[in-house]
Amino acid sequence: MMPVVVVHGGAVQVPEERAEITISGVCSAARSGYLVLEEGGSSLDAVVEAVVQMENSPYFSAGCGSVLNVKGEVEMDAIVMDGKTLGSGSVSAVRDIANPVQLARLVMEKTSHAFLTAEGASKFARSVGVPEVSQESLITEYSRMFWKKNLLMSREKMGTVGAVAVDKDGNVACATSTGGMPNKMEGRVGDTPCVGSGGYADNQSGAVSATGHGEANMRVTLSRLILFHMEQGQSAEAASDLGLAYLKSRLGALGGVVTVDPQGNWTSRFSTQQMPWAAAQNDTLHYGLNSGEHFRRSFSEQH
Amino acid sequence: MSAVLVVHGGAWAIPDELAEASVDGVKTAARKGFVVLRNGGSALDAVEAAVKSLEDNTVFNAGHGATLNIDGEVELDAIIMDGRTLNCGAVSSVKNIANPVSLARAVMEKTSHIMLTGKGANLFAESVGFSTVPTDTLVSEFERKEWERHKTYVTGVLEDFNTQWAHDTVGAVAVDSSGNVACATSTGGIRNKMVGRVGDSPVIGCGAYADNFSGAVSCTGHGESILKVTLAKLILSHVEQGESVADASQLALQYMGERVQGAGGAITVSPSGKWAATFTTQRMAWAAAENDVLWSGLDPNERKKENLN
Repeated sequence: MMPVVVVHGGAVQVPEERAEITISGVCSAARSGYLVLEEGGSSLDAVVEAVVQMENSPYFSAGCGSVLNVKGEVEMDAIVMDGKTLGSGSVSAVRDIANPVQLARLVMEKTSHAFLTAEGASKFARSVGVPEVSQESLITEYSRMFWKKNLLMSREKMGTVGAVAVDKDGNVACATSTGGMPNKMEGRVGDTPCVGSGGYADNQSGAVSATGHGEANMRVTLSRLILFHMEQGQSAEAASDLGLAYLKSRLGALGGVVTVDPQGNWTSRFSTQQMPWAAAQNDTLHYGLNSGEHFRRSFSEQH
Repeated sequence: MSAVLVVHGGAWAIPDELAEASVDGVKTAARKGFVVLRNGGSALDAVEAAVKSLEDNTVFNAGHGATLNIDGEVELDAIIMDGRTLNCGAVSSVKNIANPVSLARAVMEKTSHIMLTGKGANLFAESVGFSTVPTDTLVSEFERKEWERHKTYVTGVLEDFNTQWAHDTVGAVAVDSSGNVACATSTGGIRNKMVGRVGDSPVIGCGAYADNFSGAVSCTGHGESILKVTLAKLILSHVEQGESVADASQLALQYMGERVQGAGGAITVSPSGKWAATFTTQRMAWAAAENDVLWSGLDPNERKKENLN
């Protein structure tokens, strides 16, 4: 059994000029998550750390850098799930906080509920001392430019971020976070915070974090679908491919996932042309962006 | 291909004083929904009609008669799904709407999204002409009293959360004469829930799911437990593996009990017209309309039969 952290930065087209920084971002997130595991942290700690990093980076559509809704405002969704207990925490349409994935974890750990939305989520955040940040601090030049372009129906997408991990005790976990769909209607909630769609984790089968067209992922409950295949004996890779193939054949939609099983086998699969991803396991950092890419670097090379 | 409609009015320890009204309510809803099917309407139209009837009935925790959150307000969740296209519409934490299931349908049919929440959902409702109703008209005397009574509990009792608290979500599943299946679920959520708490009901695959290839499900019970096991999808995965709708429902509910100590209920229908109403709580008010027969039940293993006139 080899602990591993796998992250993705959204199954979307990454513009040429952002390719390098995006890859650097997922690599950094995977390594940070893995460091947590090395220091004895749980898979839950690791996925939250990895996603927090990507939320803090302005180069991903989660937390800072989130795409804007039709009114030019930031509304964020996130989920965490603990494969040991099947417990999950989700927030949807939450505003003015830096790290929705952390709030999602607090929902799971500090309330008897699993999902808080909108004003209720903000009220809870205040009650547990999560600092409010200005809308402006979450909006980047890029997301604003994107918003203006999309007002003209350019229909480009920007990605969700996510991570899965398995720790030395064989516990799996997942986390997913997003600003949602560019120019979405106010209050639109996608797959991300919906258990079974944006993510699912179960110590008996594995963990998945999904990205792509939110509504399509929801209609097939993509994460849960992949794990059903794994329960029936498929490998992480085969199960992920089956799930993505079904998404395409049934709905004509494309997407991407990162998947791990309790033994530490992992995969990053996507039917779009690009999905920035990275995985850290043993002494190796794996990563890629374009379909078919799989680069490797040893950690010891870095130091 | 004969059409079938099944409805439920919540899986929980329904007290005797609510029992008769609950069973009457589900029977009325089943009749209303079945008329739609009899007249050649779709499964989607039928489940909407049935759930609207349950929302309008103050005996159930949905629409009128919905339970109050900790601030004494009504926040509603609902979902509707079309098994033919896998299209879905859902709303969470929406306020002052008498029929959230119809709003959920409007999300499905009039937007490119599936789920709208909170203020955004209400703005949408306004934009497509849904009238808002004052909170007072949605709040029943019973719920107001219960809220006041439970305010004193909130600081302490979270054990036995499962069994003691009301879980009377409502829902319906149907298959029409074309073999299309559909489902709908609607709820006010858990009494004294935190502001903005969303349960399983509007979460696709958890509170409900419909797929012409396997069937349609609507769930009720302890929402947080249903979310943990994605109950609706779990039931249908057993159906896909060859189990009957009854066995699939039983297996899944049993698993939920064993794995996460959660109790609940589900109504399930297959594309060929087989149906089941299954629960692991003390009671579940349910009714099913098929051919000329109206079935109903409340206690475990109870199945009453009468003419559907």
